[in-house]
Amino acid sequence: MLYVKNLCKSYEVGKNKYEVLKGIDFHVAQGEFVAVMGPSGSGKTTLLNCISCYIPFDKGNITLGDMKLAGMNEEELASVRNTKIGFVFQDFMLLDGLTIRENILVPRIVQGAVEKEVEKMADQLASMFGIGHIVDKYPAEISGGEKQRAAVARSLINCPLIILADEPTGNLDSKSSRAVIETFINAKQKMNATIFMVTHDSFAASFCDRVILLKDGTIYRQLEKQEERGVFQDQLLDAIKQMSA
Amino acid sequence: MSQIMNMKQMEQKLQRADRKQSRLYLFCNFMALMIISAYSALMLSPTVQKVFPEGGDSAKQMYMIFVMTLVGCVVFTIYALGLFFRHKSGQLGVLMALGASRKRLAPGLFREVIFLSGVSAIAGTAAGFPFVWIIWHAFRLFLVDSSDMVLTFDFRCLFISLLFLLSVVGFACLTAWRYLKKTNIMEVIREEHINEPVKEPGRWCGPVGFLVLLTGAVLGYGAPWACHAWFSMYPPAWVSVFYAPVFVGLYMIMLHTVVHGWKSHRKNPYKNIISRSMMKFQGKQTVNNLLVVTLLIAGGCFAIFYLPTNGISAVLRYASLPYDYFYKYQADQNVPDRTKVEALGKEYDLSLKDWNECDYVTLGMGGMTNIEEEDSLRFHVEYVPMLQEAMVLSEDAYRMITGQEVDVAPGTYRCLNDQEETSLYVNNSAKELTNMTTRKVLATEFAGYLHYDHLAEEIPCCVLDNADYALISEGLTDDWRGRFAAFNVDGKDSYPFAVAFYHLFVSSFDPSCERICSYDRVQKIRENEEGQEYWGDTDEMTKISYELSDSFAFRTFWVYMPSFRILNQNDYLRNMAVMFMMFLFIFIVCMITALVVCHTRCQSIALNNRYIFDDLKKLGASPAFLDKEVRSQCTNVFKMPALVGTTAMFLLYAMILYANDGRLLQTEWAAMGLCLCIIAVIGGVIYTVYRSTVKAIKGQLRIG
Repeated sequence: MLYVKNLCKSYEVGKNKYEVLKGIDFHVAQGEFVAVMGPSGSGKTTLLNCISCYIPFDKGNITLGDMKLAGMNEEELASVRNTKIGFVFQDFMLLDGLTIRENILVPRIVQGAVEKEVEKMADQLASMFGIGHIVDKYPAEISGGEKQRAAVARSLINCPLIILADEPTGNLDSKSSRAVIETFINAKQKMNATIFMVTHDSFAASFCDRVILLKDGTIYRQLEKQEERGVFQDQLLDAIKQMSA
Repeated sequence: MSQIMNMKQMEQKLQRADRKQSRLYLFCNFMALMIISAYSALMLSPTVQKVFPEGGDSAKQMYMIFVMTLVGCVVFTIYALGLFFRHKSGQLGVLMALGASRKRLAPGLFREVIFLSGVSAIAGTAAGFPFVWIIWHAFRLFLVDSSDMVLTFDFRCLFISLLFLLSVVGFACLTAWRYLKKTNIMEVIREEHINEPVKEPGRWCGPVGFLVLLTGAVLGYGAPWACHAWFSMYPPAWVSVFYAPVFVGLYMIMLHTVVHGWKSHRKNPYKNIISRSMMKFQGKQTVNNLLVVTLLIAGGCFAIFYLPTNGISAVLRYASLPYDYFYKYQADQNVPDRTKVEALGKEYDLSLKDWNECDYVTLGMGGMTNIEEEDSLRFHVEYVPMLQEAMVLSEDAYRMITGQEVDVAPGTYRCLNDQEETSLYVNNSAKELTNMTTRKVLATEFAGYLHYDHLAEEIPCCVLDNADYALISEGLTDDWRGRFAAFNVDGKDSYPFAVAFYHLFVSSFDPSCERICSYDRVQKIRENEEGQEYWGDTDEMTKISYELSDSFAFRTFWVYMPSFRILNQNDYLRNMAVMFMMFLFIFIVCMITALVVCHTRCQSIALNNRYIFDDLKKLGASPAFLDKEVRSQCTNVFKMPALVGTTAMFLLYAMILYANDGRLLQTEWAAMGLCLCIIAVIGGVIYTVYRSTVKAIKGQLRIG
């Protein structure tokens, strides 16, 4: 599904050059729910932004399905972002001037005219994630958790190959966080969605099938969930402790 | 169910939701275009053009302030566009992140910016004309009216507005294209929240800025003089470059204001730390804005100070003149004599007294003058015989008309000057005088000044020994002879009498005297004899007509324009109306622009930092604390440009007045006092707008 090979990315600030990703290699299988964790500055968000084609990368290869992202032109990258990737931002990034239903439909509107069936699909997604009753409301009128679930619904409207989520629970309280994570699990179970999530939250990560720990731009360790969620969360915390030491 | 079915409809809905932001952009563009259109319409109108002498100081001043206003409006529109796109970038970024390609976004975005820029620019350009019309007619209705003030437009002025309009639309499209070209989508999404801090200079920056500003002012003002005095060169246009340090100095002062503020923070380093850091992190835009506002306020003051500096000296001069009525005429003209004038006075119940008359002759006078080199830039000083006309009186005639005792040695002349010896029209370098009829020459030399304001006019006037006068004036025809007459009114003067006498006086001259004071008959004869065409016979010469004897041009330039105290005092404002009202208009335009920039800048600082105010509320900040922070922000934006702009112009005017003759005369002190009063009024207006801005921002941030 997603193959990342020898991915390198650096930023230049003035005369200084900071290497953020130093040759990252991993892959994510179809239907897998993978989290990336690591301390601040470890390169998690940069990795996500490179995969989603939001920022260009310096070296390496990203293969999504059967498409190599390196070397694609702007038009092709836009098409990948629209049809192959669904993105969930930490601060939701819903358009304030549109209703929740319209926000969910934006990726389809970008493609062209929206058919009635697509509108039905948006409503179904909203109902599936427990926000069916607020589809005619505007973002300013709903809670953070509801906004994020709307953002997840938006990311799924085009049935993408993968959902990329950047700290989707970062701005939410525990109840809303739980609801959002359940939304992802729902999407994975009912739609066989592949999810790649960056998070700081070990509780959210413990719902994943696999967790990649990043440190200083390299993969420190990968952990797979083999036991129940609580045990996996303890394993994660131990691994993070070791990494910090 | 949703109504949105395609991209165009979605964009329209988003635009409707963003109408507040669009309104701000529309308003800024509209204002900028209206101001440019109005200023250029009035500046290039025939009404103004025929009054402002081409190449004169007042015309230069008008064009200079126009350039300042233009720069201000350019920065203002760029700033408004920046604000619009900063807000728009979040929306654009999200659409890009969701897969909207450049090709997909471009039509909607270009349609929106072209529509907003185009509509606001066209509306602004069109509104400029009614704006000028309303203000000009308000001046005519409430302040002063004259035949010169009939407003006509030369629609070629639209060329300037059109150029500005196209630049606005072009720049908006260019900015839109730049956004679409960005490859880093996260950068586009986060743009709204990105700060633009300025590099933090040391605390020396502000004081050094003042020094640089002062240096620039002295260099800029002194450079033309240095060209003239040291290099015998007419100052070319590029010497204005010496004013450049003024702008550098201003920038440094504004930078210091934004980064450090002007109060010492040693005792309490945390005082105002929030408001200072808010300004600092939007430093680039804030410094640019403060600079523009300072320039505009300075431009406004430069214009408005023209009124007191010119008005006061004229009003005081009229009051101090020795005679109520003083006039001269060519001997061959049929001007009303004493009996007729007294009879006219009786019609107005006036009794005339102190009647005095004397003869004078007009002679050719030699003198030192600048002779242009072939390049028209450099010159050398050379003595030229028959350089110009001079009105020459005998000792007896001078004694008769002025009542002053005088003794002029044979073979010398004494030159008339005003009481303060500030007249520009004296000639103290003559070596001979020429009878223009017989071409007899009298050798002479300068023997000092005499002081009499009525005779210190545009044509040099001098007094000869009685015998010398008789010798040189022998054989002169009447067209080179003239007569001075003067009288006072016993009791209170009558304006209607002055008007009637003035019109009677003008109507008694024949067409040979329908010329301006700069038309020099001696120079014409000399140049014609040398085979050259005299410039006074070309179209360059200002034309006057007896039929327009109440016009600004006639009353200012006619060679025999009499000095009637009551007429001059009552009609001064009317005669100078176009000039004064133009400068008043410039002042209004500059101040409106400056205040709008300040208001929008304060609003954008507050809106960009609304999250900080929300956070401060959450941290328990009291309404009083938040109120103080808002005030502190607004104070910095309003106070410093107002202080620097008004003070700099006041000092510049003081320097100009002082540099004229190396001293400050009583009239100049009075003018400066009036300028201070004007500054106080400007301060009041700025404070009022500041208060309403603070109120508006507090409303937007829901403080108190």
